[in-house]
Amino acid sequence: MHRRWLITFATTFLLWSVVVQLNHYLAPVGAYLFVGGLLVAFAALRLSLRNGLTATLLLGLCIDAAEPVPFGTHLLLFAVMHIIIYHLRTRLPREETVIGVVVALLANLALVSGLSFVTFGNHPAAGAAWLRIFADLGWSQLFIVAIAPWFFALQERALELGRVDLAEESHRPF
Amino acid sequence: MPSKRFDQAKPFVVLGIVVLTWILLPVAVKSFLRAGFYELQAPIQVTASYARDLQEYWVERTHSNKELMEAGRELRHVYAGYEFQAQQVEALRAEIARLEQLLRLPSNPQYRFEPARVAQRDLSGWWQKLVIRKGANYGIPAGAPVVYSGGVVGRVSAVHAYTADVDLVTSPRVRLAATIENDTRPVSYQGGDNPPLILARGIVEFVPPDIFTSAKDPKRLVTSGLGGVFPPGLTIGYITRLEASTDGLFKSGEVALDPRLSELTEVTVLVPLNPE
Repeated sequence: MHRRWLITFATTFLLWSVVVQLNHYLAPVGAYLFVGGLLVAFAALRLSLRNGLTATLLLGLCIDAAEPVPFGTHLLLFAVMHIIIYHLRTRLPREETVIGVVVALLANLALVSGLSFVTFGNHPAAGAAWLRIFADLGWSQLFIVAIAPWFFALQERALELGRVDLAEESHRPF
Repeated sequence: MPSKRFDQAKPFVVLGIVVLTWILLPVAVKSFLRAGFYELQAPIQVTASYARDLQEYWVERTHSNKELMEAGRELRHVYAGYEFQAQQVEALRAEIARLEQLLRLPSNPQYRFEPARVAQRDLSGWWQKLVIRKGANYGIPAGAPVVYSGGVVGRVSAVHAYTADVDLVTSPRVRLAATIENDTRPVSYQGGDNPPLILARGIVEFVPPDIFTSAKDPKRLVTSGLGGVFPPGLTIGYITRLEASTDGLFKSGEVALDPRLSELTEVTVLVPLNPE
């Protein structure tokens, strides 16, 4: 049972670490990638509530520890997004990659908006800041479209290697 | 039917439990979790930084001996100039100490210089920070000023076991007391104007109305030394535009910052020798 959320957490943590390194190299050109939606999408669409939410919450804590935001910001934002996707997933063909990509894109948009409202308290140049956020969101969405199919396949394969039956897992009641 | 309704509401009940648990969790537990999760992943940042250094080393190894000798020769010229300037600085320091004693003035804060490699740049629209490869293990305190060859980098915002976070001067969380070169009146600088794909800018406020500047004739903005955090006279940037502020008493404007701020690989932390 522990394998399921542990494997999912490991794959999402790996993606986040890679994106952090990419952002290091993008810093001189004034661009930033945020892939929160992609980190949450697979766990919310394909895993049971307990395992998926555990992986999502752990990842939120890791990101909160590293970023200069009130501790718990990413945890709560990711948790809310995870629950919303989980609640709506029965109406979607969630095994389809295209659906996963669309869900990741919409979730990323919502998370960027939520994070911006939380962090833009007394920003001295809110106009320029929102422009920067929109530009970064554009790059991030393009990045998600490019790598989401590969990342979903990676997570599926990782769970298969961990001898997890994804079909059975996604239909577990809790 | 009630069972179906509960099934639909179960995820939100779980969410409510998670939110409530988080709100009621003691601050000590949250602090422990934050420190614990940070230190678990800090080795990844530091390892990636060492890997980049190793990559640069092997790139340098591809240079021919002739190129390396040329570079060494240029460095010798630069070093000779710095040696002379260091002698002048020592002479000026001695003169300052003599005048302070003569006039019974308090001494300026003294610092220990701690050079540190930049492990990670995290420059987004929400925050602008660097992670450096020195932390509590080198006695770096929170709030210490950070500088580089071009002037002010920012301020240490958080110190961990082996790393430290630095808020850049481009961050909206950084506000500095400054003065315009050759003027003693204090002005306020704050970061936060970070448009996409172009150089970050800062914002200067409370500029006296008799100061004029333009992009062709910018005025250098330096630290004032007020507050005792940053030594006076360090370059922050260049004021390129000023306009009357809404109250009409002062001016506010844009500060052009050094483009090297987003490419830094090494900085120096000024650790106060006599912290108050």
